[in-house]
Amino acid sequence: MATSDAAVAPAPVGGARWRYRLRLALREPTTVIAVLMAALFAYLIVVPILSILSDAATVQFGDERRTAGETGSFTAYYLYRAFASPVAHDLFWEPLLNTLKVAFGAIAISLSVGGVLAWLIARTDMFGRRWFATALIVPYMLPAWTFALAWTTLFKNRTVGGQPGWFEAIGLSPPDWLAYGQVPITIILALHYTPFVILLFGSALRRFDSQLEDSARILGAPGRVVALQIILPLMRPALLSAVLLIFAKCLGEFGVPYVLGLPVKFDVLATSLYRSIGSRQTGVAGVLAGAIMLIGVLAIMIDAHLAREARRFVTVGSKGAMNRLSRLKSWRWPASGFAAAVFIVSVGMPLLTLALSTVMHQPGSFAWSNFTLDYWIGRDLPTVAMRTGILLSPDLWQAALNTLSIVGIASVCSGILGVLTGYVVVRTTIRPLAIFLRQVTFMPYLVPGIAFAAAYLSLFAVQRGPIPGLYGTTLILILALMADQMPYASRAGISAMMQLGKDPEEAAQIVGAGWFRRMTSIVIPIQKGSLVTGILLPFISGIKGLSLFVILAVPATDVLTTFSLRLVDYNYTQAANAVVLIIAGLAYGGTVLAQRLTRTNLAEGLGN
Amino acid sequence: MPDIVLSNVQKSYGAGSPNAVSDLDLHIRDGEFMCLLGPSGCGKTTTLRMIAGLENLTDGEIRVGEKIVDSPARGAFIGPEKRGMGLVFQSYALWPHLTIERNTDFGLRLRKVPKAEREARVTEVMKALDIEKYRHRYPSQLSGGQQQRVALARMLAVNPGVLLLDEPLSNLDARLRLEMRAELKRIHAAFGTTIVFVTHDQWEAMTLATSIAVMNEGRLQQLGTPNDIYDRPANRFVAEFVGSPPINILETATGHALDRAASHWLAGRLGESAGVGSVGFRPEALQIARSEAAVPGDSFRHAAEVTGILPTGGSWIIELKVDGRALFATTTECPVLKGGERVFVHARPTAMHVFDAAGLRLAGADDTLARAA
Repeated sequence: MATSDAAVAPAPVGGARWRYRLRLALREPTTVIAVLMAALFAYLIVVPILSILSDAATVQFGDERRTAGETGSFTAYYLYRAFASPVAHDLFWEPLLNTLKVAFGAIAISLSVGGVLAWLIARTDMFGRRWFATALIVPYMLPAWTFALAWTTLFKNRTVGGQPGWFEAIGLSPPDWLAYGQVPITIILALHYTPFVILLFGSALRRFDSQLEDSARILGAPGRVVALQIILPLMRPALLSAVLLIFAKCLGEFGVPYVLGLPVKFDVLATSLYRSIGSRQTGVAGVLAGAIMLIGVLAIMIDAHLAREARRFVTVGSKGAMNRLSRLKSWRWPASGFAAAVFIVSVGMPLLTLALSTVMHQPGSFAWSNFTLDYWIGRDLPTVAMRTGILLSPDLWQAALNTLSIVGIASVCSGILGVLTGYVVVRTTIRPLAIFLRQVTFMPYLVPGIAFAAAYLSLFAVQRGPIPGLYGTTLILILALMADQMPYASRAGISAMMQLGKDPEEAAQIVGAGWFRRMTSIVIPIQKGSLVTGILLPFISGIKGLSLFVILAVPATDVLTTFSLRLVDYNYTQAANAVVLIIAGLAYGGTVLAQRLTRTNLAEGLGN
Repeated sequence: MPDIVLSNVQKSYGAGSPNAVSDLDLHIRDGEFMCLLGPSGCGKTTTLRMIAGLENLTDGEIRVGEKIVDSPARGAFIGPEKRGMGLVFQSYALWPHLTIERNTDFGLRLRKVPKAEREARVTEVMKALDIEKYRHRYPSQLSGGQQQRVALARMLAVNPGVLLLDEPLSNLDARLRLEMRAELKRIHAAFGTTIVFVTHDQWEAMTLATSIAVMNEGRLQQLGTPNDIYDRPANRFVAEFVGSPPINILETATGHALDRAASHWLAGRLGESAGVGSVGFRPEALQIARSEAAVPGDSFRHAAEVTGILPTGGSWIIELKVDGRALFATTTECPVLKGGERVFVHARPTAMHVFDAAGLRLAGADDTLARAA
């Protein structure tokens, strides 16, 4: 809206001008809804983050003597403790170094493996490329620590107690570096994020116009020059974007380092934060969460900056794009073999290992007598707890019910709020409000899940004003999950509304439809598809999510992921693996269902 | 529908950005077919949307009859849904989830028109626009031209007092465009609706409108009948915007031989102090003679070289050069000229459009030249 009209206005009618503006703003409920939503998101997103950041700089209850200050007064003690004290090495620097080692290792592996696969799938005549295009994405539909559990099932050695891994059981004792710590964590994260590269790099390759390549060839450029001087520079934005996204994801990854790093004290930032919370070092937790956020924000800002740069490459995806396939000739079979090998390592083996482990008494023994269905449906098992098969355990069903209700409610809410955000952002006449809503709903994206959960804990653990302490309730999980999903939900809503444009709604307005009528008859029916996607995709990622729940859930509010983690902690390997398989099945089934319902490609929306 | 009057309308999209529309006064009479013509970004669509109520004014006033529908100074604003107008969008903006029939009767349902009456009205409008057979289809199943008709039918169904059209023909192919143009003229005649039509296509404006408002950079340049606009452009912008190939303009202040000749020729007839800035003549008024003897005595003339002959089917564009300066002439008779031929170009005094240094039409020059002829 114009703000310059005061300048052109004849002086005596200033009041009328304000009335005019007010009338325009209140003519439709859009602005009122926008204000309400801005307040809601400020409370659910901004306040928790501010709360944990302030925890980092104020004296926490119980620390008065150490910090020599009153509870609540300012202190630099926690910053000192995390960054400069004798324990800083263990609290921050070592985990930071480990995080970076793991992240960059995972990036290097997934780029080289994923890059080749993306090219094979998008631009060659490899056998079965359509099948691989879907099959190789499967690792991303499964929770990352599915692979971590599969890994321990195979490689666990005597360093820690409980059931040994298969190799240990048949007498081949795997060394610690292979069983735990950096190597397995890197490999697993790489396998998990390779689909990311395949999706991002693959779609850029698909959109790449063969004519650009042909033009260079016609001018006499050999294949190497074409690849290095034409294709690679144009692909760079997609590659960098994949790199930064993987980095941001690794930063917040909790489950894998928790399962594989703990036995050898290999801490990353996420696990260090978890320990700080576990040992009630709230102030240090605030510092660590702040550090994780800061690194996350930096990564995303670099990505956004590069994306802006990349806009120069407008030719990619131009209208006349032609996609010609390279003929592999005698390399067709080896290429397919490579893809098949990656599939076996990243999907086949882990799932098979997990599945087998749940029906075997002793690990690694393939005698017929060793197989049993007891861990699924048995009764009166000779264990301390978990005396029935997992499917007969009421705990599982309680966790499943919790998962469905918590994740379900959160997804429905965030889906609806996402569409509403899209609507008000695109429609409101008050631009600062639109900008605020757009940015505030995007904020959780910058904050890795574990730090966000810590922020929620910091704000909602105790009673504040009229809001009672929410720790231990399902509500805190729903709210946290909802807020955590808002970046995807609001982006989906905004882009859907942008795509729809103003015209269909204005056409209805012209023929006399008021706001409410336009919402129910025009906007919502047209946006039905994006609403369904906006609910289903968060639902799927919520089902396999762990880092939010691990901090906020208590046994009564266990969801499937935290339940299986508890089983891991108590060394009920078979039961834990069975639960993880159930989660993997749900996540996979949900993705396929979402794809069917919305007729979209798996590739889209998997950024969650 | 009463007249629509825009007085001193200003529109700015925020402080600092240039005005989209400035000082616009426009009186649209009942039953008129008015075209807002101008290049993209000239403010014509904004003007249309302000009339519809989809944009609010920054200053000024819009009245429909005696009723003020938008006036920041008086704090008055009537929403688009209460103005009783119709607007056909450039994108058509059909509702993809509703059938053609439901698209068309949407407005009638809102007005709670009884079913029988509603169906009769929808059928009538659909028949008139020849889309009745698509009644139960969805917009995505129709071609662009058919969608366009549905967009029109949807608005006509509620019988609006004013029909606003935002470049409705620009997405159609040439043939359909011709058909729809005839259709619009027929609707205008049959329904007696006031039509305000936005276009950047001068051809469309010339063939359809009863009056044309030429706009540029948010300002009204000229308001007049199609013939006025073409034959007596009020300024250089209008002269150069309307007409294809474009009008030939000679600036009198440059040192170019052709410009000097024109300047000298005009000074001889209008006097040295007339304040001539430039002179233009349309391609069809530029004639070609193979020898100077064939040029009528009172015409402006200059030697030139033929550099190209472009047939356009039934007529020809002849491209000429004078010392590197290009001139265009058009003719409907098959030219006997050859490329590279040296000829004389000449123009009648009455065909000259004389502008002052600021680019405004030089009042009085026309009469003087007519007397000279």
